[in-house]
Amino acid sequence: MFNFLSNSNIFIWIEKLINFIHSIFFALLLAALSFALIFSPPDYLQGDSVRIMYVHVPAAWIGLASFSCIALLSILNFIFRVKNLTLITKSIAPIGLMFTCIAIVTGSIWGQPTWGTFWAWDARITSMVILALFYFIIIASHKLISEEAKANKISSIIAAIGLINIPIIKYSVEWWSTLHQPASIKITGTSTIHSSMLMPLLLMFLVLIMYCALIFLMKYKTEIIRIKKKNLKRYD
Amino acid sequence: MISNLIFMNGYGVFVWASFALTFLVCAVVYYRTSKTLKKYEKEFAKEIEALSTEQKKVVLEKSKVASKVFSSFNKTI
Repeated sequence: MFNFLSNSNIFIWIEKLINFIHSIFFALLLAALSFALIFSPPDYLQGDSVRIMYVHVPAAWIGLASFSCIALLSILNFIFRVKNLTLITKSIAPIGLMFTCIAIVTGSIWGQPTWGTFWAWDARITSMVILALFYFIIIASHKLISEEAKANKISSIIAAIGLINIPIIKYSVEWWSTLHQPASIKITGTSTIHSSMLMPLLLMFLVLIMYCALIFLMKYKTEIIRIKKKNLKRYD
Repeated sequence: MISNLIFMNGYGVFVWASFALTFLVCAVVYYRTSKTLKKYEKEFAKEIEALSTEQKKVVLEKSKVASKVFSSFNKTI
């Protein structure tokens, strides 16, 4: 029934998707950079420093979304024991760590002209650092524990514990008095960002999501080959 | 126009540093991921090549992944 989910079929789809993303990526990147750096207006209060938002915010979204995805898939894996889910979580983790670090560093750079300091142990920033640590532990457990089943189990438990941090990051700006501004874009409720800034932001988010998809597919493909390579040893 | 784009009223160093860092990290990760993938493909294709004719036939018939990797590796050499 789930034959279409076999590694062989997934492998063929991955190749098609990688080619598709390669074909449109650079045109989209060029458009996103043009809007972010040239066509979007400066902020009335922050001036041109607001342009940092076009990399900082999508990076933070991706960092949070990747971890939520890893945690949920880990929980599903506990219940259903699907091997592909482990491969997916293992492939997403480095991407999530990378974007979480980008969000922290670009946020720090943005902090200097806006708050007058590169760093503050503010609730939002600290909870993002904790998120990066969770990512780091998950990746380290895969690298350091040689027994695959044990590494998967430990990383899944860490991911499930780390899920508690996600709402803390989201609501940190409301629960505590922080330097970080509250969210300007709300899924439920009215957003306080002008469309001239929202459009480039969403375009850059799309570009970075496509980049993530590309890296994820390449990592997933590598994992499939690694498994097939291991299976090939049976013929020796 | 150009100097405005570069200096951005004094914020240029912050904006350009953020963008440069983001895309530099992205480029490095892309390069490393692509390199690892190619390395695995190459090793896998070489291991298939090293099998006996009979074993190779069985592997290539049974596994779509093996036949895909093996044929694309043979195309590149």
